[in-house]
Amino acid sequence: MTGGGLSVWLKAALLGVWVMTAPLAVAETPPSEDARGWLARLGPALNMTTYRGVFVYARGDQVSSMRVAHRYRDGIVEERLVQQDGEGGEIVRKGTRVVCVLPRHGRIQLEQVMPAGPFAETFAHQLVATSEWYQPELLGEDRVAGYSVKVIALQARDGDRYSHRFWLEQQTGLLVKSHVRGEDGRVLESFQFTDLEITDALPDSEFEVQTTGEAVSRTLPSTSEAVVVNRMNGWTLGWQPAGFMPAAAPGSGKGQAVAFSDGLAAFSVFVEPVGALEMPTGVSRIGATTAYMRKLKAGDRTFLVTVVGEIPPETAMRVANSVDIEDAMAFRTKTP
Amino acid sequence: MDDRLKETLSAMLDDQADELSVRRVLSHTEQQQVRSQWQRWHQLRELLHEGQGRVEPIDVSHRVRQSLAGTGLTVDLPQPEPEPREPTNWHWPAVAMVMAGLLVGFGMGTGWDIQQAESPVLAREARLGPAETAGATSAEVMPEIALQGLDEQQWEHLSRYLLEHAQHNSVAAGRGAVGYARLASVSTPAY
Repeated sequence: MTGGGLSVWLKAALLGVWVMTAPLAVAETPPSEDARGWLARLGPALNMTTYRGVFVYARGDQVSSMRVAHRYRDGIVEERLVQQDGEGGEIVRKGTRVVCVLPRHGRIQLEQVMPAGPFAETFAHQLVATSEWYQPELLGEDRVAGYSVKVIALQARDGDRYSHRFWLEQQTGLLVKSHVRGEDGRVLESFQFTDLEITDALPDSEFEVQTTGEAVSRTLPSTSEAVVVNRMNGWTLGWQPAGFMPAAAPGSGKGQAVAFSDGLAAFSVFVEPVGALEMPTGVSRIGATTAYMRKLKAGDRTFLVTVVGEIPPETAMRVANSVDIEDAMAFRTKTP
Repeated sequence: MDDRLKETLSAMLDDQADELSVRRVLSHTEQQQVRSQWQRWHQLRELLHEGQGRVEPIDVSHRVRQSLAGTGLTVDLPQPEPEPREPTNWHWPAVAMVMAGLLVGFGMGTGWDIQQAESPVLAREARLGPAETAGATSAEVMPEIALQGLDEQQWEHLSRYLLEHAQHNSVAAGRGAVGYARLASVSTPAY
């Protein structure tokens, strides 16, 4: 058939054109350099872009979706997030002031859901430095929620962390999709806008609390006040994966927690005297999040060591096993 | 029809399906398709077992649904109602469905945990001793904790850690909406 033959020739011709031009396009900039450039935009874009939309978030077998409106105007970030599943609830933020309207979800108290730290500011400038622990690579272009995006892979350089993949909108650099992947390439956690509108301005009405219910408001500490809390009272960490540094922690808990981050992934170590509650020991996984629990005897007291983080179970176990109790008497806070 | 549904149907055929799966089958949008698949397999099965029974398109899903909706362990065995059709013809599917319903009723009691353990996500290993092999990096020595196996207090305890970590994370990794999503995700129960 002539029609079929023609289309075959056309395809062959197009393929020829593609084969000739593709190397030229790639040769313009080294892929890793370009990827770094895009990563540098990630942090600022998270704050300084005005957008609204709906995103889904999946970890393990849990999937949830949220509606978000985000505005950057006169140097102030305003944000409103509305949960689309379950009982709903919303979080409204203006600058450092946050109002949460969340019904009691399952077994979590309202005030526990209150995020206690600033958002993207803290780490925006550190993402570039992560290339020491992740191999950045520009994978190509794609389309997410109607927008053209650049796909950037951050391949873990060792087995102590997971790999990441980011989809950044081409004009603004806004993160519109992300994956956390295991060593075998399996997607453990994913975040993705399904509906997105990047715009110049949003009306004030987008940022008003609309859910009726008990509201809790709190003023976040500004970036400069965010302290690196090191509350390793009475215990030490013998090993931590390379690149993980003590990170700013809100210090809301009653336990002795220390957070570590390599710029992308983070884990927290909790050490508490074992109370009346008997906890199982071992590993538990929810998507990319690992929780490893271990009991540790020091003198005549038993402690529960818990490592929670977006790190592989093996790493979490090594961290937990390296915890050493130096002074059992330093633990004065009893767990309820 | 997806593979998972087929697997469930196959499990029902062997009386191995759990309650959730049966519910999933019953709530599947393409009931006609599900039913015809079920009947095809039954015919195959009859052939293999040299049975002589023909399978007529009979819908017992309503009854099974009712029995599932029934309270707890007291699942009434739906009596095969005398219907105008020949009773021998619908013998097999009805019995299988009722068996599935019964199995479910039983599953709500003691045998339930075993069924759950077969799911890879909820895998719960028997070895619950502390993994005291310091420095070892093999996943095999790590006992798994099934979140579903935790009681209310234990779950509360663990989710407090998860939340606090999510808070650390929203500060440290600063990923905007992702951080929030993690928080919100913890605030909803895992099951």
